[in-house]
Amino acid sequence: MPNKPLVEVKKLKKNYGDTEVLKEIDGTVMPGQVICVIGPSGSGKSTFLRCLNMLEKPTSGQVLFEGKDTQKFSEEELTTLRERMGMVFQSFNLFPNLTVLENLKLAPIRVKKMSDKDAEEKALGLLKRVGLDEKANVYPDSLSGGQAQRVAIARALAMDPEMLLFDEPTSALDPEMVGEVLAVMKELAEDGMTMVVVTHEMGFAKEVANDVWFMADGYILEKNTPNEMFDHPKNPRTKDFISKIIGNV
Amino acid sequence: MKVKGRNVLLTVMTLCLSLLFLFTIQPSHSITTTTAYAADNSLQRVKARGKIVMATSPDYPPYEFQVSKNGKSEVVGMDVDIMKQVAKDLGVKLVVKSMSFSNVLVAVETGKADVAMSGINPTPERRQSVDFSEIYYNGGQSFLINKTDAGKYTSKASLAHKIIGAQTGTLQYNLAKSKIPGAQVKGMDKNTDLVLALKTHKIDALGIETPSAEAYVKNDPDLKMIKSGYSLNKNDTGSAMALKKGSGTLVAAINKSITKIKAKGLPNQYLAQAGKYMKVNTHNTSMFHYWTYFAKGIEYTLLISAISVIFGVLLGTILALMRFSKSKIFHAISIAYVEFVRGTPLMVQVMFVYFGIGIVVNLPALLSGIIAVSLNSGAYVEEIIRGGINSVDKGQTEASASLGLAKTDTMRFVVLPQALKNIWPALGNEFVSLVKESSIVSIIGVTDLIYQLNIVRADTYRGVMPVFVAMIIYFVMTFILTRVLNYFEGRMKHAK
Ligand SMILES: Nc1ncnc2c1ncn2[C@@H]1O[C@H](COP(=O)(O)OP(=O)(O)OP(=O)(O)O)[C@@H](O)[C@H]1O
Ligand SMILES: [Mg+2]
Repeated sequence: MPNKPLVEVKKLKKNYGDTEVLKEIDGTVMPGQVICVIGPSGSGKSTFLRCLNMLEKPTSGQVLFEGKDTQKFSEEELTTLRERMGMVFQSFNLFPNLTVLENLKLAPIRVKKMSDKDAEEKALGLLKRVGLDEKANVYPDSLSGGQAQRVAIARALAMDPEMLLFDEPTSALDPEMVGEVLAVMKELAEDGMTMVVVTHEMGFAKEVANDVWFMADGYILEKNTPNEMFDHPKNPRTKDFISKIIGNV
Repeated sequence: MKVKGRNVLLTVMTLCLSLLFLFTIQPSHSITTTTAYAADNSLQRVKARGKIVMATSPDYPPYEFQVSKNGKSEVVGMDVDIMKQVAKDLGVKLVVKSMSFSNVLVAVETGKADVAMSGINPTPERRQSVDFSEIYYNGGQSFLINKTDAGKYTSKASLAHKIIGAQTGTLQYNLAKSKIPGAQVKGMDKNTDLVLALKTHKIDALGIETPSAEAYVKNDPDLKMIKSGYSLNKNDTGSAMALKKGSGTLVAAINKSITKIKAKGLPNQYLAQAGKYMKVNTHNTSMFHYWTYFAKGIEYTLLISAISVIFGVLLGTILALMRFSKSKIFHAISIAYVEFVRGTPLMVQVMFVYFGIGIVVNLPALLSGIIAVSLNSGAYVEEIIRGGINSVDKGQTEASASLGLAKTDTMRFVVLPQALKNIWPALGNEFVSLVKESSIVSIIGVTDLIYQLNIVRADTYRGVMPVFVAMIIYFVMTFILTRVLNYFEGRMKHAK
């Protein structure tokens, strides 16, 4: 594993008007690492992820991608950043006006300037990989939640990213569908994909994550290995939170 | 930040408005300057073109009115016959352009027509804005009254303190106002409407030229004509042709022709001829007899609405994209346009496009109508599309951006298709309302349903029935359109 960080976050701060959502965030993501981010609702987890691929502009501080300041990126570099750093959303956000196949082909054709044939081949391969090749020509609204999220992952993969951001990918799913999505994510991690995953799936975190970060009040209050984080949290806020999510499960 | 944006917006809006004003004022300057610099070549121009264009309001029998000749609608009457003779003397062809009376002088001033001829009295006020030919006919002034009132109203004096109707902007209107003590004068644009008002006792008498009055009396046994009893300067009451200021050479040539025509006693011959037309015409006043008129009107109304809704959607999309654009200027222009168009009546816009823009490029009435209605519709469609774009979930834009898609691609492939699907019903409604609202283009002589309706009314001397028929036609059109649109909307919901 090369030991140059893929992403470095330094003193990241994000305000919405007067509300300080991220007060001071520091962190490093090495290539191939899987980081799980946990924390109470409203603690800024989504905002943090969105600052990584510049869907949100940080108020101050830096996000470095391969050592380069993403805030100084030109329009082109920004496109490249997003090509290399895919994102999967809680509510899937598949394009309902396009078929599953077209959802996967759109960005490779428009952004990577891939030929229609190549894009289609690639898309079909990815659909097969997430077990949905027979759904290629249906529209998203006929998919179940689990299927939709697997398509969304395949769509992100169609850009050949080196890194994926997941924002609570399973929390909008019926319980019986969580497993199929996590299985796909596990496979990705095993193949060496760098991932930052906002999730409260403890099992997944314990099995796959290198590190778990606990976010609250605009700070990362604790960084720890999954086992330590869930079994022996140090920070009292972490303890409190962990006991709550364990209680819920 | 917000305040600053506001300021930019205000500046741009003021700018747009002042530009518009400049634009509207400009023409009068340019006319005076062109006449000052260029020698009068009006006659030369008409001869070079090989045709002379006459603006008229064909709702004034026997001066000018519409008849159907071999199934085709045509403007006939004394004025048309005289003008035909004049054209012949000039060695050119005659083209007749129909429009409402209040627009015929404007048409001459703005160069839409060479001559306005519509039983126009050359009053001193009018002489300030146009040149007049010699008087070609002096019909005299009369009143039309209901036969049942024949005992009550016998002269001008007996009409004191009564309600007198007259066409707006006519000599009759001014005379009633100034010469009948205590009279309340009610102005309308069309004599057909005034006759209807008279018959329904909304007015007590109608001031009208004698030949017209005679025509109405001949065709309607309930009406009676009485002499006006105005003592008038003959020069102010006869009918003359109006021409653009500074058309001296053309006026001179026309006057020569008029002298000849009068010497031969042609006007009275033409009047008799017009009377014959009217007899044929009033023979069958059943609405079925006029179905070709209504059919033509439907065709134009649908044509205008359909084309306008297409261009309206194009323009509305562009305006909506400008509104969402990062550029403050685009954003402000879009807002200013929409506010301005929504804040002015369609009728004024139609007239502005036809007469105002017509000074720069001579647009035919139908094209002007389509342009005006499209420009108007664009503003309303912009709001619909903007609503549609806003209705698309923010997650869609984010997902698209997270894949590296450019803003324009996101708009084109993700947001707009979804927006258009959401607003399909609203766009359908816009189309249906255009079918109704486009009726306003009849004022510049576009032969839509309303225009045809007025022709049928003038033609049959029946005030209400054609209106009723048109109302039913409009309703059937919008009703069917709504069903068809609903059907497609349902289909779009199922299949995609
Ligand atoms: N665009 C925005 N404008 C203003 N405030 C925002 C915006 N986006 C998020 N916030 C606020 O920032 C805070 C953090 O939001 P964020 O979505 O990052 O939290 P989260 O940790 O992801 O919460 P959840 O677990 O509910 O998803 C919240 O209080 C939210 O209301
Ligand atoms: Mg969140």
